[in-house]
Amino acid sequence: MGAYIARRLLSTLLVMALVGVFIFLLLHLAPGDPASIIAGDNASPAQIFKIRHQLGLDAPLVVQFARWVWQLLHGDFGVSIFSEAPVMELIRQRLPATLALTSTTISFAAILAVGAGVLAAWRAGGLLDRVLMGFAALGFSVPVFVVGYVLIYVCAIWLRWLPVQGYVPLSGGLWPWASHLILPSIALGLAYVALIARITRASMLEVLSEDYMRTARAKGASTGSMLFHHALKNAGVPIVTVIGIGVALLISGVVITETVFNIPGLGRLTVDAITNRDYPIIQGVIVVFSGTYVLVNLAVDLVYTLIDPRIRY
Amino acid sequence: MGISRRGVIGSGLAAGVFAPMVRRANAAPGDAGTLRTVMQGDLRVFDPIWTTANITAYYGAMVYDTLFAIDEHFKPQPQMVDKWSLSDDKKTYTFALRDGLGWQDNTPVTAADCVASVRRWAARDGGGQVMMQFVKDISAGDDKTFKIELTEPFGPVIDMLAKPTTPDCFMMRKKDAETDPFQQVSARIGSGPFTFNESETRPGSQYVFNRWDKYVPRKEPPSGLAGGKVVSLPKVIWENIADEQTALAALQSGEIDFYELPPIDLLPQLAADPNITLEALNKTGNVGIARLNCLHPPFASVEARQAMLYLLNQSDFMKATFGNPKYYQTCASYFGCGTPMQTDVNTDWFKHGVDLAKAKELFTKAGYSGEPVVVLQATNIAFMNNSAQLIAGQLEKIGVKAQLAASDWGGVVTRRSVMEPDDKGGWDVFITWGSAYAFSDPIGLLALAMNGKKAWYGWPTDDAYEKLRMEWAGAADDAARKAIGDKMAALGWNDVPAVILGQWVSPQAWRKNVSGFIGIPEIIPFWNVKKT
Repeated sequence: MGAYIARRLLSTLLVMALVGVFIFLLLHLAPGDPASIIAGDNASPAQIFKIRHQLGLDAPLVVQFARWVWQLLHGDFGVSIFSEAPVMELIRQRLPATLALTSTTISFAAILAVGAGVLAAWRAGGLLDRVLMGFAALGFSVPVFVVGYVLIYVCAIWLRWLPVQGYVPLSGGLWPWASHLILPSIALGLAYVALIARITRASMLEVLSEDYMRTARAKGASTGSMLFHHALKNAGVPIVTVIGIGVALLISGVVITETVFNIPGLGRLTVDAITNRDYPIIQGVIVVFSGTYVLVNLAVDLVYTLIDPRIRY
Repeated sequence: MGISRRGVIGSGLAAGVFAPMVRRANAAPGDAGTLRTVMQGDLRVFDPIWTTANITAYYGAMVYDTLFAIDEHFKPQPQMVDKWSLSDDKKTYTFALRDGLGWQDNTPVTAADCVASVRRWAARDGGGQVMMQFVKDISAGDDKTFKIELTEPFGPVIDMLAKPTTPDCFMMRKKDAETDPFQQVSARIGSGPFTFNESETRPGSQYVFNRWDKYVPRKEPPSGLAGGKVVSLPKVIWENIADEQTALAALQSGEIDFYELPPIDLLPQLAADPNITLEALNKTGNVGIARLNCLHPPFASVEARQAMLYLLNQSDFMKATFGNPKYYQTCASYFGCGTPMQTDVNTDWFKHGVDLAKAKELFTKAGYSGEPVVVLQATNIAFMNNSAQLIAGQLEKIGVKAQLAASDWGGVVTRRSVMEPDDKGGWDVFITWGSAYAFSDPIGLLALAMNGKKAWYGWPTDDAYEKLRMEWAGAADDAARKAIGDKMAALGWNDVPAVILGQWVSPQAWRKNVSGFIGIPEIIPFWNVKKT
């Protein structure tokens, strides 16, 4: 197991390096010039040239890449072209909001979806199944921003139960923190509820038709014990897989959700940086995202061993 | 698993008990007097000389002060300056600073600070660079007086020091102002009416300003950016809400008090809200233009450029983006409408209206031979996106092959600097806009220069026009400037370096319990504003 984890961690570094090269080339070969944006609409070409020189953007691409890699090897993501703030510091400032949003979203989605999927499988073909799967289809079809706007209108403007936007750190109080995360978590989580619920239902249906489930029922196991103890554990691998995929997909979902609900997280940081061609930020954030993606996949693989003792690495 | 009556009643009671608690918990935070605003964009740069971003100029107007400032009639008035004089030969300006000026680190403002600040500003500002061609020396006398000595008379010195267009001539401490003009100043200490609260600021999220209680305002009532900057608000917070719909919802729910640029399509919703005031603070608004590349065919030919005047109907462009005529106007003035330089000289093309046959004839005279006309289309900005498509459509109507080059604005700003022909990454038309006020300043606005490859993108050349532009700079008074401006407009509409697409205002929205906003182009001042 230890050797397996070490191998996977090494491959994580390789993936991050490849992503880094790809992103660097993609950004620097795409049209756009931060110097022109900084200089403003009224700037002369000479002024823009001088800014480009100051930023080192007139150096050959190979030199710029070597500089960036050298910084990375020293644990330095560089500084923002615009604010001149260290990229690492910007990521550190934005990470808590994104972590809070993704963790509440995935918790909400997993708990609700697994429960709904189990119930739908238990009552397969019945009214409850159809209603739950109908909601699942709806959750999957409606875009995050539409759900977001509807929630804002109903819960924040009409009922005035929750704030429209913003983020308060946990240090600002439990309710202020939670109240700012409820609507975004629901908006972002609905698609994942739908996805996880459908996979849970399908996986549960397969397990419920197995002989050992009939045996459990014959031995007098209660419905709850049968569903959640015997069946769910055996249906767990595909569910954990899809939750893992969901965590990875959340990375793209947070970009929209953070914008709609004005949450100062990594998604907003990325969008703003792309608009301004703030290369060091984009590169830094994407390297972090790619590392997270690979590590989540590793965690999912390790969780398999807890669910299914037959799986060993 | 069924739903019981008891359950429904229990849920209802729980909702009845908890909902008011939730509402109370979500009521506006206990910061009475704090003004929460959503401005036009994120404040990424804190040096208002280093960048021309308007949001940074807003920040500058909070934290820094200026030697002069324009009043509501666009006339420069002393601000940090107490008295000033001009020598008889009109070559030496002498300035005396007023009493009570101090930096927010509790050191006094000195003439040496101002000398360094003017020099740094002039290195970055287009108009400042022109001014420096006439400057022999800028020097401090004692702690409160300094001089600008010229080699020959240059009329708009005071106008330049007062101008609200970016970069504004903000005063900084000498040690900050001595920073290379192409490097950012890292200190955030000025002598303006607000201090920047770094500890409460969350970059990318909110920017916090506190009233600076030691600021000594002028005694005169506020007028434009001039007069007394009396601050009532103890704190101003700029929230960075990128999503327009969310910002609007936040305004309607009372989470924010002021929204600088509500989207034009949502204005009816705000107008119908009894708690919201909707008003354009910048009455002259913005001028949209299609800039033409004078270096390569077809627009290297003046006939092809003149053809564009007969091809494009301003109303179409304004309707496509702004919809409601309440917010836009057509305008043929070379220097914008509602500005001190407004003129209708040489605008027969405008009075004549769209004439496709004439446009086609002019393109033929220009020797147009079917080459594609590349129109840069910034798809992420509605006005630019819509206008590019309209221009392409009109060109196609007269048989000119239009080619839209779609990218975001970042892509456009890069490509427009390419002087090569289209097949080597160049361009023929791009769309942009500027404040109408800026369009009335032929020295400050590079887009109004026609000095060939030294000019702004499009690189038009007209030596006679350039001679007039320098004469304008040296003109003694407004009447002389206006007369020279008329001659420039006459030449300008013959040369057609750009086509005007219309002029519009962008209303601001604020809650009814807020009052006292000062209407002026380029800056949103927060002094004089009250919240009850």
